[in-house]
Amino acid sequence: MNQDTIDAVAPIEVVQRESTPITHRETVFDIRGLSVYYGDTVAVSDVNLEIYRNMVTALIGPSGCGKSTFIRCLNRMNDLIPSARIDGEILYHGQNMYGSGVDPASVRRWIGMVFQKPNPFPKSIYDNVAWGPRTLGMRKGLDERVERALTQAALWDEVKGRLKRSALALSGGQQQRLCIARALAVEPEVVLLDEPASALDPIATSSIEDLIHELKREYTIVIVTHNMQQAARVADMTAFFSLDVHEDGSRNGILVEYDVTQKIFTQPADSRTEGYVTGRFG
Amino acid sequence: MMDGGGGLRVSFQEQLDRTETALQEEGEFVLRALRGSMNALWEQDTELSDEVIAFDDQIDAIYFNIQGGIQALLAQQTPVAGDLRLVLALLYSNLHLERMGDYCVTIAKLVKLASDFEPEPALVDAFSDMGARAEGMIRVALDAFEQRDVEAAETLVDLDEMIDRANRRVVEQVFALGSDPERLEWGLRMITVSRCLERIGDHAVDIGEQVAYLVTGEFREFTDASRRPDSPSPQ
Repeated sequence: MNQDTIDAVAPIEVVQRESTPITHRETVFDIRGLSVYYGDTVAVSDVNLEIYRNMVTALIGPSGCGKSTFIRCLNRMNDLIPSARIDGEILYHGQNMYGSGVDPASVRRWIGMVFQKPNPFPKSIYDNVAWGPRTLGMRKGLDERVERALTQAALWDEVKGRLKRSALALSGGQQQRLCIARALAVEPEVVLLDEPASALDPIATSSIEDLIHELKREYTIVIVTHNMQQAARVADMTAFFSLDVHEDGSRNGILVEYDVTQKIFTQPADSRTEGYVTGRFG
Repeated sequence: MMDGGGGLRVSFQEQLDRTETALQEEGEFVLRALRGSMNALWEQDTELSDEVIAFDDQIDAIYFNIQGGIQALLAQQTPVAGDLRLVLALLYSNLHLERMGDYCVTIAKLVKLASDFEPEPALVDAFSDMGARAEGMIRVALDAFEQRDVEAAETLVDLDEMIDRANRRVVEQVFALGSDPERLEWGLRMITVSRCLERIGDHAVDIGEQVAYLVTGEFREFTDASRRPDSPSPQ
């Protein structure tokens, strides 16, 4: 057997089971020691976590654990609440998102958000999607942009014949996909989803979950969900938040465990995570 | 909070507990079948053999009962984490026990086929030893499961090595029986009996591996069978 032949024979590789199968990770958000306060009350304390590009990161945990507060920090939505302030840092591609001179509006330009309850504007389907691009002065090729966003949101085929009709005439599931299209129309990098399917029926929920699978090819997705099975189905990474109860009865949200979703749902490292995902408490 | 009795998912916990109890019961049934088949062998008791064969229906009934219960748990309760590992360990261990029961049936059938022949005392002694070892291994596997005891489960490897050696000695003893066709026919049937006992040991090791998975979450084989140079591999 000559050398060429030997080289041509592929070695038998022993596949090692790795707890972290994702090898290439590009950090989008690097959150360091983040605490959020509403007045004197600590909502979430000392969160350290990295969010990776083109992955779906799910935030799960019981009510009041601060997961919604946390996700709202990722595009500075908490700025709209006068008493809210933060400690620590959120680095977005290495840049401090809360640094002086950073315009919250420009943050939201790259980091879009979709809320629990579909909230279309009382305008036409077309105008809902075109609203963001128009506001940002992206007037060129607007029709194509609207079509692309609606297609990405898996809504185009259902609405293409009635773009001028009111968005409020759409079903709940369609309205939510419209809100996703609205977020996508400005071509953000990150899409934040705060309980996007909790107001929807199971079929509309499935279509949103399918959509999330599709969207992660182009976007980085962060999703807050109460539905643990939804996190198990859609997320690559899962962060479990819980409540830390202090002696004086005060309580604040903490990040308990953050890992690859499969690990969280088969072999969580923390007993509090185990208790929550198995439904034993929380 | 973690004991499962904290109020949430009580019926789910009860279902899990019931399934695990059923698995232990199935194990006891297998032990009865094994003892029955070994007694039938020593006594050349074909009636007892028939009882062992009929008794397998009861093992199968528990097997299907557990199988159905697990199907319902998976469909309705979506177990995760430790619950998921328990459900999977129960699923596989259930199958291993059922297979052990089948080997007991095979032994009982061979006892009937060989009942016309005069047994070889040395071989019957060897089976007495193997039967006791197989019984011990099932007991260790069941207790390790119940106690979530990985160390105990790992001892099954050494126990299995002993039963494997006994199996090889039986084969040698049969070869030594000489060329008398009747003796040889009896001997060949006894090689299969020996093989059944050896396989029961293997299934006990497999249950031990399920215990290790249940506790640690790691899938692994206790021994790498493909690299054991002296292990026979018929069947």
